[in-house]
Amino acid sequence: MKTLTTLTIIILFPFCLLGQTILKGKVTDKNNEALPGVNIFIEGTYEGTSSSKNGEFQFETELTGSHQLAFQSVGFKKELHTITLEGNEIVINTSLKEAIDQMKAVTITAGGMEASDVKKAVVLKPIDIVTTPSAIGDIVGAFQTLPGTSNVGNDGRLFVRGGDASETAIFIDGLKVNNAFGTTANNVPSRTRFSPNMFKGSFFSTGGYSAEYGQALSSALVLNSIDMPVRSQADISLMSLGGGLSQTLVGKRNSISANANFFDLGPYQNLINQNFDWERAPHSWDASILGRQQWGNSGMLKAFFQTESSGMEIWQAEPGELGRGDLIKINNNYNVGQLSFKQIKNEEWSFTGGLSYTLNTDQFDLGGLKVEQKTQLFHAKGVAIRDFSDAFSTKIGVETFWNKYDEALLDENQSRGFEDPQANAFVESDYYISNDLILRGGLRAGYSNLINEQWIDPRASLSYKFQHEGQISLAYGKFSQLAESKYRVVNNSIGNTEATHYILNYFIHKNSRTFRAEAFHKDYDNLLTFDGADMNLSNISLNGFGKASGFDVFYRDRKSIKNTDFWISYSFVDSKRKFAHYESEVQPSFAPKHNASLVVKHFVSSLNSQFGGSFSVNDGFAYTNPNFEGEQNQRTKSFQSLSLSWSYLPKPNLIIHFACNNVLGRENQFGFDYANQANEQGIFASSPVGQAAPRFLFLGVFLTLSTDKNANQLNNL
Amino acid sequence: MKIKFTLIALLFLLSNITVANDPAYVNAMQKQLQAMGNAENAAEFQSVANGFSRISQMNQDEWLPDYYAALAYTNAGFILRGYPEEQDKNFDIAVKTIQDCINRNGENAELIALKGYAMMGQLSVDPQTRGQQLSGLVMQTFGRALKLEPENPRAMSLMAQMQLGMSQFFGEGPEKACGIAKQSLEYFGKEEAQETDNPLLPRWGKESAQAVLKSCK
Repeated sequence: MKTLTTLTIIILFPFCLLGQTILKGKVTDKNNEALPGVNIFIEGTYEGTSSSKNGEFQFETELTGSHQLAFQSVGFKKELHTITLEGNEIVINTSLKEAIDQMKAVTITAGGMEASDVKKAVVLKPIDIVTTPSAIGDIVGAFQTLPGTSNVGNDGRLFVRGGDASETAIFIDGLKVNNAFGTTANNVPSRTRFSPNMFKGSFFSTGGYSAEYGQALSSALVLNSIDMPVRSQADISLMSLGGGLSQTLVGKRNSISANANFFDLGPYQNLINQNFDWERAPHSWDASILGRQQWGNSGMLKAFFQTESSGMEIWQAEPGELGRGDLIKINNNYNVGQLSFKQIKNEEWSFTGGLSYTLNTDQFDLGGLKVEQKTQLFHAKGVAIRDFSDAFSTKIGVETFWNKYDEALLDENQSRGFEDPQANAFVESDYYISNDLILRGGLRAGYSNLINEQWIDPRASLSYKFQHEGQISLAYGKFSQLAESKYRVVNNSIGNTEATHYILNYFIHKNSRTFRAEAFHKDYDNLLTFDGADMNLSNISLNGFGKASGFDVFYRDRKSIKNTDFWISYSFVDSKRKFAHYESEVQPSFAPKHNASLVVKHFVSSLNSQFGGSFSVNDGFAYTNPNFEGEQNQRTKSFQSLSLSWSYLPKPNLIIHFACNNVLGRENQFGFDYANQANEQGIFASSPVGQAAPRFLFLGVFLTLSTDKNANQLNNL
Repeated sequence: MKIKFTLIALLFLLSNITVANDPAYVNAMQKQLQAMGNAENAAEFQSVANGFSRISQMNQDEWLPDYYAALAYTNAGFILRGYPEEQDKNFDIAVKTIQDCINRNGENAELIALKGYAMMGQLSVDPQTRGQQLSGLVMQTFGRALKLEPENPRAMSLMAQMQLGMSQFFGEGPEKACGIAKQSLEYFGKEEAQETDNPLLPRWGKESAQAVLKSCK
């Protein structure tokens, strides 16, 4: 046997010598920088090597004839060179073309802030939404610490860059939801209806957003629900305000989560003195169910249903008059149902879409005047995305909305309403010129049956990434939004209000530090104007106009201070608009000029605790004092609020969370209410619009039961 | 039934023989395995990973080349501590390599356990923010590997490592991790006693179980 081997070697030896070819060279990138670790091999054989630290490679082969030499490295296009092996030395120097990798390539950051675990260019992680002290578990509370927003403490909703709360649209899994905030009385802040632990990530745009979204002048908040929960578990929460139960069951390819909560602020308000004159504290119950079914490699079907019922009774005094004033009673019933699907078919086609229905019924008793308002929204949407190459993709979608609104004066047997079916279509293309430069262009077309009008909104953005990882983005867009239902029901023919955005953004994320700066200008046109007050509107038309411009900066750092994560944002907004009942261009009360917030989280592992603090400040809210000339002629003192929180994890499946809002008990004011008539001295009496209570305390105990003992409810905080 | 079983056994044997009979494949694999044993820095692991992916391109129906390529990337990821972006890159490629291999050749306990290991790497890059989401997933992944092969020593020893990290995070004692590590050593012993026709099968992981046990005293 041994002789045979020796013999073979001797016989083959000369051929080997003949066929020995040396392959060598150097691999670089487009900037002529050496590329180490490139896999260089002869296709269809085992023979090959890797490039060294300085991009050089060399290997020998005994193969002969014509072959393909392959160069392969993650992030670059595979390159093939035809070579003829005949014993000579072959030198190949090449520079690889980078592959467009959408996970690593430049992203459009103008106007948008993402909360995600997956992507790099994010401002927030989903967990931040629930651990921001001032938010107390409200999704929108966390976004109010981001640049571009104003903290309007007597409302609670999202106010973006000089726009009012109705200018922000909220979407769940791409489908629009109406009445995302609970119904509330004047000057009593509201919260989002949806539990933050339902969502895996979100996209919050403060302007210039994609053609996929419409009917929002200022902002789109897109929430994405969790695809598949990781485990079956039961969660129990006991809070100073109520309690909740939830159960998640996870199968191989499907899962179902059911959730029920009950809140009543009554016992809490009996314990801690309130500024508001409550007859019946806010109370509510809600139940929701979310089912998911996967199909194929990448198909997902989700069904979501939530029902909620809430109420409150509050005395609201007339300024300058004695007594408790009018008793306002509110009853709200809310139902939302959604069916959504997504399918990433293969490299080329993806589909998403779904159906959504929201039904909101409010019953008000306004000091004896009984009003019922019923809002219905049906939304159907289908989107196809085609990747023509790794550098070019197009998104095409069609949508239909059906809006129905009815209101009735119950005692007087009067009612009115309207119905408005709308059709929309959009197309948007992304083109990566390289990994460092992307262009996006889109068009959105809409048609409203009620006003019999069609419109087209163009959108465009561009982003460029510098060598130092920072990137610059520009965005432009036109946005149309039909007026709120309470105005359309009075005047059926009013059409779209309009805004045009121009945004310049700089964004850099490096070594756990993020910096973002953005300048913007927004023109408003056809803003809604009217005479009279809420229940008695007249002369509703689109004669308003205005503008908002400014800039904001954001800095987040998770590295400089050990175990500490903090972010700071500052926004400057100069907004002037003629709208609503104002006769001149004024600074809206919901658009303070200077806004800033700081959020700090510090983890102390020896105490199993996370300590958090957040501080928000602005330069005051503008208001009209009828005792002086002009409109919006005064400004409240600066709004300031410091919130602290402590989360304690004694065991992996148990969390105790304590939070206090406005720790310092500062008496913030959001404006003043004035009497309709001047008194005998010729003065309009006033009363300040303030906070519900000097402070808000929250205590919650969250227990998770699961076969996996490390599961906890961190997401519920 | 018996015939069917014999047939399957025979086929199984045959498949081992085919592997053993392709000396080019076995040689190439052994050469890279040796290189991996000697690899000390990320560049060397990269070059080993390249070697395994060359073999993979030639043997698309074998899972071992991709398995070892992913292991090399995972090792590189852990070595690159202090360079979070580089770490992420390596762990991401590892996970993707395993996923592609599973999509092509189906899953087995070794691939799933390794996937859990690479995910553990992703977690280690930024435990404060990723812990909540990933720690459950990683444990679940090791659990799945053990469901497929209840006595897989690597799945068990990696689980011990993960458990130790979590216990430290929550300020608990190492007892639970120690129990798992001891169990895994028992399985390593069984594995060593077993004869195998395929010299290329994974055999690593004992040292890390022993390291976990050290913290038990």
